[in-house]
Amino acid sequence: MRRRTFLTCAAAAFGAAARAPLAWAVPKPYSWEAAPPTTNSEAFVKWMVANRGEEPHFLAQRFGRCQMLVVNHDVLDERNKRAFLMTPREEFTLKRNQGRAYDHAFLDIGFGVTISGPHVVSRMTSSLDVKLGEKVLEIGTGSGYQSAYLANLTDKVWSIEIIKPLAERTRDVLDGLIGRGYSEYQAISTRHADGYYGWPQAAPFDKIIVTCGIDHVPPPLLQQLRLGGIMVIPIGPPGAQRLLKIVKEQETDGTIKVARVDIYGGRIVPFVPFTKIDGDTIKGTHNQR
Amino acid sequence: MRTGAAAWLALAGLVARAGYDRTARRVRTFNLRPLSRPLSRRIIGTMSLRAPARGQSTSELEPTPQLYLSVGLIAGAVIALQIAIMRIFSVGSWAHFGSLVVSLAMLGFGLTSAIMCVRKDWFERHWQRVAMAALMLFGPLTVAANLAAQQTPFNAIFLVSDPAQKWRLFGNFLLYMLPFLAGAFYLGTVFLKAQRLFGRVYFADLTGSGLCGLVFLGAMYLLAPENLLMVPLALWCAGSVLWFMALGRPRAIAWVSAVAIGCGVAHLAAPSLGLASLAVSDYKGVSYARKFPDSERVYERASPFGYLEVYASSYLHFAPGLSDNAAFNLPAMPTNAYLGLYIDGEGPSGIIRDLPAAETAYFRYLPMIYPYLIKQAPDTFVVQFGGGISTAIALKSGSKSVTVAEGNPTVLSAFRNDKGLREFTGDVLNNPNVKVIDYEGRLYLAHTDRRYDIIDLSLADSAGLSSPGGFAIVEKFAYSREAMTSYMRALKEGGVLSVTLWNKEEPPKSVLKLYATMAAAAREADGDNIADRFFVVASYLSTASVLYKRGGFTPEEVAKLRAHTRAMSFDEIYYPGFAFAPTDAATVLQDYKNSIFPDGPTQDPDAASEGRKGGEGPPPENGTLPATTMGQMAWHHLVHGGWDELARRYVFDTRLLTNDRPYFAAYVKPADLLRVSDRLELLQDEWGFLLVWATLAIACVAALSLVLLPLAFGWRTIFSRNPGKFRTIVYFACLGAGYIMVEVGLISKFIEALSNATVSASVLITGMLVCSGAGSLVSERYFARARSIMPRIFLAIGALLIGYGLALDSALDWIGTFPYALRLLFSFALIFPPAFLMGFPMPTAMTLLARLGKDHMFLWAWGINGCFSVVGAALVPVIATSFGLGAVLMASGCAYLLATVGFFAVLLPLAAPTSRAAVT
Repeated sequence: MRRRTFLTCAAAAFGAAARAPLAWAVPKPYSWEAAPPTTNSEAFVKWMVANRGEEPHFLAQRFGRCQMLVVNHDVLDERNKRAFLMTPREEFTLKRNQGRAYDHAFLDIGFGVTISGPHVVSRMTSSLDVKLGEKVLEIGTGSGYQSAYLANLTDKVWSIEIIKPLAERTRDVLDGLIGRGYSEYQAISTRHADGYYGWPQAAPFDKIIVTCGIDHVPPPLLQQLRLGGIMVIPIGPPGAQRLLKIVKEQETDGTIKVARVDIYGGRIVPFVPFTKIDGDTIKGTHNQR
Repeated sequence: MRTGAAAWLALAGLVARAGYDRTARRVRTFNLRPLSRPLSRRIIGTMSLRAPARGQSTSELEPTPQLYLSVGLIAGAVIALQIAIMRIFSVGSWAHFGSLVVSLAMLGFGLTSAIMCVRKDWFERHWQRVAMAALMLFGPLTVAANLAAQQTPFNAIFLVSDPAQKWRLFGNFLLYMLPFLAGAFYLGTVFLKAQRLFGRVYFADLTGSGLCGLVFLGAMYLLAPENLLMVPLALWCAGSVLWFMALGRPRAIAWVSAVAIGCGVAHLAAPSLGLASLAVSDYKGVSYARKFPDSERVYERASPFGYLEVYASSYLHFAPGLSDNAAFNLPAMPTNAYLGLYIDGEGPSGIIRDLPAAETAYFRYLPMIYPYLIKQAPDTFVVQFGGGISTAIALKSGSKSVTVAEGNPTVLSAFRNDKGLREFTGDVLNNPNVKVIDYEGRLYLAHTDRRYDIIDLSLADSAGLSSPGGFAIVEKFAYSREAMTSYMRALKEGGVLSVTLWNKEEPPKSVLKLYATMAAAAREADGDNIADRFFVVASYLSTASVLYKRGGFTPEEVAKLRAHTRAMSFDEIYYPGFAFAPTDAATVLQDYKNSIFPDGPTQDPDAASEGRKGGEGPPPENGTLPATTMGQMAWHHLVHGGWDELARRYVFDTRLLTNDRPYFAAYVKPADLLRVSDRLELLQDEWGFLLVWATLAIACVAALSLVLLPLAFGWRTIFSRNPGKFRTIVYFACLGAGYIMVEVGLISKFIEALSNATVSASVLITGMLVCSGAGSLVSERYFARARSIMPRIFLAIGALLIGYGLALDSALDWIGTFPYALRLLFSFALIFPPAFLMGFPMPTAMTLLARLGKDHMFLWAWGINGCFSVVGAALVPVIATSFGLGAVLMASGCAYLLATVGFFAVLLPLAAPTSRAAVT
């Protein structure tokens, strides 16, 4: 075999091998008690390879991004940290974007839909404060990543997608992952429908996430939100969304009231992190080059 | 509704910026009018053709009708191609990126000029082959470049986050530049060889440009956007055939005809082979509608006012600004209540069904209902029809009469004439209780004697739900201080002006500009005591509504409006008697600043992460959101003084909208432009403005490079005998930038009187071409006295433009009061004086260069002029947003005054040849 041919074949084989881990089965069954190490990248990768059978390269990136989330206060507690670390974001991106799965960026997933950046997803999910056993409705399934993330926080997730081919593709992704041993995703019920009307059969919900553009909050969703429940809606262009938080409460006189707040408790914060990862460390601000 | 107008405006701006007028500039460069006979002989004597060498083309151009027609048609094809590409970008992705791509592609003319300048002798020898190759390639390159660009579209939404998108944008620029290069080589070659026919060739080019531009406008009524490329192809085919007829080359005629047919077939057949000729981005509003399972396009119409589509789907829901409380007080929202209206793929705007009374209960929960709470049986004026929601609310709320204005004739035609839309809307525009004004409401209200109880300007634009590409810089004359003053003065005593705007920005931008504008208008109408005139509410990340009452609100009315506000859970921003307690005012201002510009680098990542000052502090004790506090603070200072200081400290530009600077866009303060370069994702809605700066920077660099190209390839040999080179460059740069700035600036300005961007562009472009052509024709009479006449011409141009900059507002306001035909007539009358005089400088200088034998300088001047016209076009929005449209005209006037200095360098004769130069 000529040297050039050999090298070409070897490179192709290596490339194929690099993709192969995505089809691995999960070695150990999912457990709510199982928690990966969160203090050390090496330990995290080792634990995840042993327990989840995921690819070390992505795991290292996931851990690095998680550090950024913590620094940026996008995840506020161990439960949300665990949920982020346990969710293989790379499985929910298009193949061509897998290398950028853990970038601080929203990515195209086709059909005019994006998978939100990790900071947005984490901050939005943290603001919902989902507890195990709570019922969560998502309007706009999209890539399925948000649902998968939620499935690591609760065992009751409903998700509606308006674009039929996208709904079907994402269902296939979830089913494929379930087949490989990601049993936690069995908690996700999906359907193709108009999210404006919610999912009355499964209502009321403790938490609702709306990730589609509309000029008002759909009344059916507010009706399907449990008293004391929280709804979160990102508003604005994809790169600079502001998270609107809606809380449904009952006044002392019995009337129901909806309060619009932001997720920052009235504080003004930069939504985009002004920090960046340099190797294993977090450095500087946007202006520090 | 405005999205279509906006897209067209961007198109019109481009037409003026890089197309239509650009060709005029190019043509003027070569304008040597037919001269008086003795002078002609002298010039021809100095520019005598060289004896053909062996193997060279030997024939010369003959002044046949075919030649002139060919030049006119090819020049027209270039213009049509520019507009067609802009339309493709407008409909397929976002207009301002098309403007960027085509503006830069037009630098191809500068590149051509530089190359021809360096290799002038070669081009003179091989002119026939060059022209033939250019003509043979123009069509195929047009089709191939478009197909290639459409198969690899760039997506503006990922411009910052995906590095590949920048290269795709660059690829689009390179691809679309190819046919322009071909066109430039053809025209450059013709002008090079037609020196003794310059005057007539110029006239042909000018007339052809004007007529072909109008032909394209007409074609926009007939052809869908994806097929508009057939217009430049047809013009190119006709122009090529005539060229070869002029040269007596029948075989070439057959060839080019075959190539043209092939190009047309390739363009039309490509979609059936899976190659889109216009790929609509998945992120355009209309793309979502097309994906709804039950969606059906119920109306479609192409016109210069935008490509209008209407879709029906049960998935379309509209209730702009609906109170959240509607959910607990209404049994249900009406279903299938709306159609979605899209213009150039942008939208949707909701077209409301003629709902029965039982289904309109939710109107009470919309912000547009406010004025009807305190006015019974009003005479109502709706400033913009849009999809008809405001009109429906006015009718259902007991209005005695409703007058509604709509400036887009395509929209009016759809609602008045289409059977399906008429049935759906209950034939609202033919309702006997509805009077329709078929032009801008602000113009009508400024000059009518009628007075109204309610004037409504609500959510004139769609929600912008799908505007990830950013917003173009669009003139919003309906929201200017002058317009607001007109609305206020058109109210009956006790009448209410209600303005509702989207409030989805954080930090707030547009609403603060609206507040400042309305307060300033009220001071103009009522004097300083405006404290009891306003009632303002907002819903966080939803809408903001400002009510102005002529004569002031009574305490009872304030109580009623406040009670409704509480019932809706909206936020009170201002009401008569409102006491603002500025406990955390300074913090809010500083925190907003920190949210965009954390002040300086920090060594502590923790501190950086949360914006430090803003994020680390405790939340406000009263639970008021910062945006609400900011609104309250703004109104407190607008009413009681101190607004200027507050605006100075705020993170974004909040200057009010005026007729001179009618922009919601351009909120980044110019001093902060460099600081935002690493956080563009935060300012996605400002990309239209930032792109203008990028275009200007790139155009400046490219222009400078192209200008310097001849220097790099032989300054000493080429220009060794040309004295006053630098001043000559200044002269042609001033003319290039000055002319285009006047044209683009006036297009924006004349919308004020003509109320429509398309009409304004057409009037200005055609008017200026014709008037300048007339000036050019007349200028030949003064060549002999150029030294004494031209300084006076420059002085007159400068004085006129500066005068226009100062006084045009009043003139246009006055013109706006007349019937439309008279408005057009007056507009032409206003355009004539400066445009006529602006026709003098270029042909005079070019004639003189030719007369003096400065052949290389002649070609170089063409390139300089072309490059700086691109720079000038990019300068217009930059100056307009910072200093106003009047400043654009004044800057142009200064450019013409500066050109006076350079003119005397043009007059300098060639130095005597040195022995070395003679050898060279």
